[in-house]
Amino acid sequence: MTARQIMTTDDLRRAVVRISHEIVEKHGGTDRLAIVGIQRRGVPLAHRIADAIGQHEGVRPPVGALDITFYRDDLSMVAHQPIVKGTDLPFDVNVLTIVIVDDVLYTGRTARAAMDALMDFGRPSAIRLAVLVDRGHRELPIRADHVGKNVPTSRDEIVRVHVVEFDGVDEVLLDRLPTTEAKA
Amino acid sequence: MTPREDALTQGWHHRHLLDVDMLSASDIDLVMRTAVEMKEILGRPIPKVPTLRGTQVTILFYEASTRTRVSFEVAAKNLSADVVNIAASSSSVTKGESLVDTIRTVEALGADMIVMRHARSGAPYLAAQVFSGHVLNGGDGWHAHPTQALLDLFTLRDRLPGGKVAGRKIVILGDILHSRVARSNIWTLTTMGADLWLCGPPTLLRGLERWAGALPSNRRLTVTTDLRAALRGAHAVMALRLQQERMAGGLLPSLREYSLRYGLTATTLRWARADALVMHPGPMNEGVEIGPEIAAFERSVVTDQVANGVAVRMALLYLIAGSGPIEGGETHG
Amino acid sequence: MAETPRPGERVERFEVEDAWLVDPVNGLEGRGSLRVEGGRIVTVEWAGEPSGGAAAHEPPRTEPRPERPTVIVAPAFVDLHVHLRQPGREDAETVATGLAAAAHGGFGTVCAMANTTPAIDSTGLVEAVQELARASGSPVRLFTYGATSAGRAGQTLSQMGEMADAGAIGFSDDGSPVADASLFRNALAYAGALGRMLVEHPEDPALTKGAEANEGLVATILGLKGWPAAGEESAVARDLAILADVVASYPASAAPHLHLTHLSTAGSIDLVRRAKAAGLPVTCDVTPHHLALHEGWVAGDRRFAWEAADALWVGGRADAAPYDQSTRVNPPLRTPADALALWSGLRDGTVDAIVTDHAPHTQVDKLVEYGDAANGISGIETACSLVLAGVEAGLLPLRDAIRALTLGPRRVLGSVVATGRRGASESLVPGLVEGAAANLVVIDTADGWDVTPETLRSKGKNSPLLGRRLRGRVLATLVDGRFAYAELGGVEAALAAAAG
Repeated sequence: MTARQIMTTDDLRRAVVRISHEIVEKHGGTDRLAIVGIQRRGVPLAHRIADAIGQHEGVRPPVGALDITFYRDDLSMVAHQPIVKGTDLPFDVNVLTIVIVDDVLYTGRTARAAMDALMDFGRPSAIRLAVLVDRGHRELPIRADHVGKNVPTSRDEIVRVHVVEFDGVDEVLLDRLPTTEAKA
Repeated sequence: MTPREDALTQGWHHRHLLDVDMLSASDIDLVMRTAVEMKEILGRPIPKVPTLRGTQVTILFYEASTRTRVSFEVAAKNLSADVVNIAASSSSVTKGESLVDTIRTVEALGADMIVMRHARSGAPYLAAQVFSGHVLNGGDGWHAHPTQALLDLFTLRDRLPGGKVAGRKIVILGDILHSRVARSNIWTLTTMGADLWLCGPPTLLRGLERWAGALPSNRRLTVTTDLRAALRGAHAVMALRLQQERMAGGLLPSLREYSLRYGLTATTLRWARADALVMHPGPMNEGVEIGPEIAAFERSVVTDQVANGVAVRMALLYLIAGSGPIEGGETHG
Repeated sequence: MAETPRPGERVERFEVEDAWLVDPVNGLEGRGSLRVEGGRIVTVEWAGEPSGGAAAHEPPRTEPRPERPTVIVAPAFVDLHVHLRQPGREDAETVATGLAAAAHGGFGTVCAMANTTPAIDSTGLVEAVQELARASGSPVRLFTYGATSAGRAGQTLSQMGEMADAGAIGFSDDGSPVADASLFRNALAYAGALGRMLVEHPEDPALTKGAEANEGLVATILGLKGWPAAGEESAVARDLAILADVVASYPASAAPHLHLTHLSTAGSIDLVRRAKAAGLPVTCDVTPHHLALHEGWVAGDRRFAWEAADALWVGGRADAAPYDQSTRVNPPLRTPADALALWSGLRDGTVDAIVTDHAPHTQVDKLVEYGDAANGISGIETACSLVLAGVEAGLLPLRDAIRALTLGPRRVLGSVVATGRRGASESLVPGLVEGAAANLVVIDTADGWDVTPETLRSKGKNSPLLGRRLRGRVLATLVDGRFAYAELGGVEAALAAAAG
């Protein structure tokens, strides 16, 4: 394998803590703030950010999970339908500031889909975007408000975020796209 | 089960939905899980997602139907598909155009998916043979009604204590012989491990014991004319619609006699468990196969079936619209 | 003979060396060579002693299977039951294309059913069909049945006597039974007095109304309306009871002969077995598709009956998609157990003949909903291969199979063909003896052929075997000393291989 580790467990933990401070600072507190993770790895990251905020602010903002599958703009291009993981927003999104959390920001299409999905639930007062890794190559006019690490990549590379909840370890790897995935 | 056959990790790979006998337990689980998400959408203030935007769904019904047709139409519209409705009475079907010609015309008009109902068993297979898109069987002859069976399963899992059908005694009561609903439920319920009983007058059970006997031992299917034995200890009872024309064929003496011997009433339902659910695929002949006091009572899940029908059909439209060769479904930008 | 001979061309010189010769007339088979000159067999040389005797009742699996040459030479086949669709449905088949298909299938004689449009129920139509056969230039002999009832309507008798005089070899309303028992009884007696057999399609219409497939596991699972075995067996029982009545109550000169065609169930075979034991003048036939295929084919199962008998299809995925309209046939494909019972009837002599019930249809009539598709299989070209597959599987000794395709049907026809116009010249099924007219089929059992719309000579491409490669390739069919079919390159290649 040619995979190269670009964030260690400690790097990942520190990035989460830093993002949690930035969110509170930008929002001016925790009032009317909610964190929403994008299925699948955005969800544990959202919980960690909320936990970190809870630790340093004494108030843990509510956390939701958002499945953007139904809002993807590439369904006609994938070979078969993604498996739906589920949306769970245990709060009224109206008048909240919602921070969308995802693992990797790439083309921007997921973030676009996430915003569309959120808007179907109501009218948040603001939507912000937090990502662990920004790897560039945007196809839409979207930028993240909070970034764990900027990683310059080429299109034939893939960023693999591993989290303990799904992968048994916290780390970020940079890998070559296998030829089979390149075709897909 | 090999990973490749496991729909929960590998995704859906059926191009059409013609019958449920092709579906593995994990395929069915995937439909159920996806339907749960669709039900969440139905609970939103605006129950609509853009998923099938630009997809044309043609609903081609050769038999009169209100609830199935409308249910498919609502499901497709909730997914933002474009819906074209063709009813046999208002099309060239009555002018003698062949099914094959009709399918080719529908394709030329831009259909991506066809939902089809037909009085002849197997007709959707002919449609699938000539259509380059996806065919969903909305009921063919006596053969299959896949979406009905899947919404019945969804309703049972939703309402049975413990949320599963495995090991539960479920009874389908009535005209099994002529019922596509029964045939599809035989597959889904036995696949999911239910203890399934078929009950009705002998003339409406012809051939079914042979089927029960031929099934592998991991599928539990019992055929009986004894209503009391069938209902004893049942967790759920599904009454089927009895068609008037069964009298003309000499299959039954009279509706009255049927209702007395095989009607599901407050009295006969006492033989089942106290918390037994009552189901009916509709439309009901109240006073024939089901007593009016049962049709409307608290353990009747008939209206749940209708509501769940939309969620299950949304799930199937979604899954089938994207079915193709196996590929990882998680990579996104 | 550098060029492939044209159909109808006289066989000047034709030689088969080191082949397996099967002579059902003299009850001989064995290794040998055969030479035809000037349209007649001039030499037959047996390599060693041919195994003799008409021991048709041996258990099949104990039969010694000597290493034999792969090329078989036998008398050309006789088919008692074909549908040539002319007049009326020339888009489905004509006499000319039907005879070409017959020759490709190894048949030198075919008997055309009367259910054309209009039905053959008068002398003019009998003669018209004979004329079409002459005009086709094919040497394959065509005999015609007349309809049993006028217009095949099941109400009154057809012009039986006149049609018999014009050459009708028997009477049949095939496609439908003679449902009226009283009319059936009269027809049997009347035909008997004319020295003609009545060929009956046994079916109780009340039990088969709207039927789409055999009533059994497959139809139950697929939701198809059932055609119960009892729908055939009750008709067979009725027919046999009436036959006994005619024998007992009518003048001896009425001499009825009942021939029950395309029997498809174990129960029907049992009924005929008992009737024959009781001495009733009944004969019967079965088709290759009922012998080799089974109801599972409707569900997409593509195993032969003897392969499926121990592991029935019970739902789910099969080899092909279900509801293939080419599997719709009347009587329907039955269970594997029924198919095995038909083989058993051939072994013990209950079944007299194998007939193809060749039923060509257009795509317009077939590519519709299963229950609306026309009944019938275009089967005259695949018959030989299907029968040989059963022989290969050990269900029937080769000589009994050849007998059921040659001498068996010849004997069912009886003396009537000697008075028929085109049968007068030569014996239909001569033995493999010097001086006999060349009525021969040459089959390469080592080679196969692909069943495709292109390889089928029939206009009817309605075969469930399309796309399949079958063993047993007909290399040549010779009729009355003329070529009906010859694939000469194939003959030479096969003979070279056999010689090498």
